Amino acid sequence: MTGGAAAPPLRVVGVSKSYEVGDSLARVIRDLTLQLDSGEIVSIVGPSGCGKSTLLNVVSGLLPPTSGEVFWHGRKLAGVPANAGYMLQKDLLLPWRTALGNVVLGLEIKGADRTDAQDRAGAMLDRLGLHGFADAYPGTLSGGMRQRVALARTLVTDPEVLLLDEPFASLDFQSKLLIENDTAALVRGERRSVLLITHDVEEAVSMSDRVLVLSQRPTYVIRTYVIDLPGSRTDMMEARKSHGFQDYVRSIWNDLQAPKR
Amino acid sequence: MTDAALTLLPEAERRARRRTRLSRASAILVCQIALLAVFLGLWEWATASDRAVAFLFGSPSAIWGFLVQMWRDGSLFRDTYVTGVETILGFVVGNVLGTVLGLSLWYSQFVARIVQPFIVALGSIPIIALAPIMIIWFGTGLISKVAMATLSVVVVALVTAYKGAMSVDPDNVNLFRTLGASKLQIFRRLVIPSALSDIFAGLRMTVGFALIGAIIGEFMSSSEGLGHAIFKAGSLYNIPKVFAALVATIALALFLTWLVGKLERLLTPWKNVG
Repeated sequence: MTGGAAAPPLRVVGVSKSYEVGDSLARVIRDLTLQLDSGEIVSIVGPSGCGKSTLLNVVSGLLPPTSGEVFWHGRKLAGVPANAGYMLQKDLLLPWRTALGNVVLGLEIKGADRTDAQDRAGAMLDRLGLHGFADAYPGTLSGGMRQRVALARTLVTDPEVLLLDEPFASLDFQSKLLIENDTAALVRGERRSVLLITHDVEEAVSMSDRVLVLSQRPTYVIRTYVIDLPGSRTDMMEARKSHGFQDYVRSIWNDLQAPKR
Repeated sequence: MTDAALTLLPEAERRARRRTRLSRASAILVCQIALLAVFLGLWEWATASDRAVAFLFGSPSAIWGFLVQMWRDGSLFRDTYVTGVETILGFVVGNVLGTVLGLSLWYSQFVARIVQPFIVALGSIPIIALAPIMIIWFGTGLISKVAMATLSVVVVALVTAYKGAMSVDPDNVNLFRTLGASKLQIFRRLVIPSALSDIFAGLRMTVGFALIGAIIGEFMSSSEGLGHAIFKAGSLYNIPKVFAALVATIALALFLTWLVGKLERLLTPWKNVG
């Protein structure tokens, strides 16, 4: 298969993943298939411990699947995908680097020109409302600001696809809404694709074009919701107030509480 | 700024807070000096009345007398300098060797598992038992003392550096991998800086070990150094002079510890904030 422009950025086909635990086999993912189209935000919700994070690690090439295949732009995944940004609930900022130093990390590893990289990193911090904090060490920043630095680090390498694993879960409600707004604006403005793993159903519905509901372990997609809400989809408060929002949330909640096997 | 959490306090407020902190620090210092003065006073008083007691325990005034005498004849500086050089050289060689080996074990879990029992075995050797061999191998001069100090340091440095390297957050390693980092890049940009705080904990601990190693070496066979002075004065039942050399040893240890702390603050500036 060759990667053409039409191939979706990410396709997961019949992926299963199991671990050996002593003499027994723990099955985490069972025959899971999903697709992420260009410029699309897709959320994955599932009961806690269902293997969402394992799925993300398989998709990002950190763990090999037991069976099935992962395609990036139509090409079978070998190693780590080049054009993906990865962000977890933990900000994973390096305490010995300043905010700017942390943002610059990805560009540095990819061997970018130093001054150019610093300019881009500084600009990204500014766009995320961290103007004037470039030289601050992470230890001096609040949780919300740290996660913004992590977001800047993720976005500055200009990834086509963002893989986010509960990135805002540890933030308070207000910080969360604000950073969600900024993420949506930055992603939708540049037509990046996002795979967002979350346990927050409201976050999933307000952020996404589609929501995939996963089953208990071994997990697979039990239901897909196409989220059709009015507005620009970059204002999470507006999305929460809009007509139909609560219906999606209720319905997804029901799916999560009575998982169909 | 939507969630700015870092704003500077007004200048006056900051000054006031700094003053409060300072006055508490000076109160602690005053109490420490008072405690020392009471201790020395009691010592002096207890030894002033009885010559036999003064012979066995020395007295602060006699110790001071010897310190002044050793300062005048240059031996105080000379012995401290000799022991200091032996300690610093052994400290540096042992830590560099141990840290490099310990960190590089991060590279291969396989090799680390193979060498682990050998490291434990080496670590369990009482260093003093190696002193005669060191004297035979390296003579009675500087090198044998440096070797003793190095041996006292190297295994601890190796173990702390390895522990530091292995305590890197695996999620952080994954982050580096998704950014396309090579193993060398992960090692240089993540593992080494992560291990720094453990390495510095090891440095602070091994200053004392290096000094012990050097002094044991001097006890065995030497012609100068604080260990030599202590040993010689002890054999002549000159207790105040033993204490005087001990005071110099303590001063040397404090100075070297202070130096390491200074180095740590210099090399890990992110720890001083907040």
